[in-house]
Amino acid sequence: MKTETVAMLLAGGQGSRLGSLTFNNAKPAVLFGGKYRIIDFPLSNAMNSEIDTVGVLTQYRPYVLNSYISDGRAWGLDKPGYGVSILPPYEGRKGARWYAGTADAIAQNIDFIDRYDPEYVLILSGDHIYQMDYSKLIDYHKKKKAQLTIAVMEVPWDDASRFGLVEVNDDMRIIGFQEKPENPKSNLASMGIYVFNWKILREELLADMEDDNSKHDFGMNIIPTMHAQDMRIFAYPFSGYWRDVGTIQSYFDANMDLLDDSVDFNINDKNLPFFSNNFSRSPQFIGSGAKVTDSLICDGCVVFGTIEHSILSQDIFIDKNVVLKNCIVHTGAVIEDGAVLENCIVGSYAKVPADARYIASESDNPDEIHVLNS
Amino acid sequence: MKDTLGVIVPLIGDDTNLNPLLGHRTIGTLPFGGRYRLIDFSLSNMVNSGVVKVGVIGTVRYSSLIDHLGTGKEWLLSRKTNDLSILTGSVNRKIEGDYRINMLDFILNKPFFEKTTKDKVIIAASNIVTTFDFNLPAQVFNKNDADIVMIYRAESPSATTLNTDVFLTTEGHRVTAIDYANDKKTSKKYADMMIVSKDTLLKLIKTSEKSEEYDLMRILMDNVDSLKIYGYELEGYFNRVFDINHYYNANMDLLDYDVLKELFLTEAPVYTKIKDNHPTRYGLNSHIEDCIVGSGGYIDGEINHSIAFREVEIEEGSKISNSIMMQKCHIGKNVTLDHVIFDKEVTVRDNTSLIGTVEEPIILSKATTI
Repeated sequence: MKTETVAMLLAGGQGSRLGSLTFNNAKPAVLFGGKYRIIDFPLSNAMNSEIDTVGVLTQYRPYVLNSYISDGRAWGLDKPGYGVSILPPYEGRKGARWYAGTADAIAQNIDFIDRYDPEYVLILSGDHIYQMDYSKLIDYHKKKKAQLTIAVMEVPWDDASRFGLVEVNDDMRIIGFQEKPENPKSNLASMGIYVFNWKILREELLADMEDDNSKHDFGMNIIPTMHAQDMRIFAYPFSGYWRDVGTIQSYFDANMDLLDDSVDFNINDKNLPFFSNNFSRSPQFIGSGAKVTDSLICDGCVVFGTIEHSILSQDIFIDKNVVLKNCIVHTGAVIEDGAVLENCIVGSYAKVPADARYIASESDNPDEIHVLNS
Repeated sequence: MKDTLGVIVPLIGDDTNLNPLLGHRTIGTLPFGGRYRLIDFSLSNMVNSGVVKVGVIGTVRYSSLIDHLGTGKEWLLSRKTNDLSILTGSVNRKIEGDYRINMLDFILNKPFFEKTTKDKVIIAASNIVTTFDFNLPAQVFNKNDADIVMIYRAESPSATTLNTDVFLTTEGHRVTAIDYANDKKTSKKYADMMIVSKDTLLKLIKTSEKSEEYDLMRILMDNVDSLKIYGYELEGYFNRVFDINHYYNANMDLLDYDVLKELFLTEAPVYTKIKDNHPTRYGLNSHIEDCIVGSGGYIDGEINHSIAFREVEIEEGSKISNSIMMQKCHIGKNVTLDHVIFDKEVTVRDNTSLIGTVEEPIILSKATTI
């Protein structure tokens, strides 16, 4: 078997900063924008970029993620022999090990990648909301005769010290790295999306496995080592919507961006559409006495109350006299008569009792968002 | 129900009065209830009852049927042990008469019925709206060692009764007479679903071939004494869509939350083809009550007591009531609509007003721009 590019999607992280949203499932499986899950974004991008082989590296609470990915058909990734493969840690002749870091997860699956004899390996992560045609990134990588290309985007100088930054020369070749520096020398932030020449990455991974002092991490070990060898590392400038949804606040804000027409991100783009894996559900029913404005609602919802600037996933029941404002409600939740919720995230299958009040003020403080669970 | 084969049949004549809405489709693929097609009900009822093999008899315009059903995956009928077959319809062999089930549909597919390993066959119409568990009549079938169990509802003949509507007379559970409405009137109206043993069905096919009587109901009427026919009463919601009025009313019935719950919000879902649509977006000016809305829509107008299918867009300032808009209709600004039925992809320009009535809703065919 032969394919030009194999995508490896890092989906094993716990996402502990998402609190109870990841108690039972991995971060990439967290619902986003109603019916989507975070992993839909890289998987849909892969499909739209005509990438036919994707390995998904799982580790933390993988069941929901595994069953959601299924055979990959929802993203057109069901080509026999290629398509999507779920790659959990495994027991080998030398024993069994968890994935010790992002690079180790790839290193333990060298055999998987070798099967496809690829020229390039695209490393993606499962916690970003964005739309990207990876084929343009790979074309850029070829044009630059690069050995590694890192997708980067400009961030405001004020925010730059929150990111991993790259310094570039006029040709966009990377000449330096800064990890969350106090005094940023650049405002180009790494997006955690890498294209490697497989032959080179393979050697680097094998060497890194032997290094007991390594944390087996792309950002901390593999990339600095390649940089130290003066390899051709380029930055691919991406301009467009991209959000890391690693914290409750960033997750909340990115969801609410879908309701903001001034934000340049269209979840309904027909050219590079986003796909998700869904069951057959009833249509949504907006009953007598309901009031719905400025919101997104998915199939299977029944609404008798007031919904304002909120996002409802599937199969949610909103009883009469309920008022929801600035809320994100996950699948199967039931909100009973008279409950009033503001700035809340309601977890899947949570039951909010009648007349409950959870009102948080609009604020940048993430502690102000209530997360309600079953 | 692993021992039972499902067959979905077109009811002859039921499509005639629906012509303005059928366009390039067959009656079974008429869009219904915001995201479904009529055939989804019979198909889902069979699957939810445990049937693992279903044949669908085609009529004219196969392409819409094949496009909708595909391999049957969405109805769980595309697995190693479960499958869906699309069977040849008798449409090219027109026969005289004004009746419901054409035996030619079975004669043409005789090998399909001969070779099946199933003992029983469910025959259900493609245009009925109901949720029904076939295990219930199957118990009556097994207990009485029946040849046929016919499902009926309590309904007396009325002004809207058709000549081809069938009424049953029973003694206990046993059916002692079957009549067309114009012959005799009882209050047990046949609900277009029956279970028949495979052997009986093959005998009926033979009888029909020999006698050249192609009306299944007439054959049953003639043989009611020699066949062990039982009745089973369906008590839940039922509608058969055979004209514009029934189509309109059956859709509007779904806005009664009790009916909606009975049909859709149960453990036994009505399956349909899945589309990759984004969630429906409600705008700042949206004012919506008492509506069914499909996914992928954009609602920024006032909409009341209506059904908006998938990807319907309603712009600011428009007022819509008592209407049905199929997939991808686009309603511009400041439009007023009352009692309209729009087929797919109808575009209504800004400031247009269309007012129909319950008896005569305004119908616009597919892709009309007004």
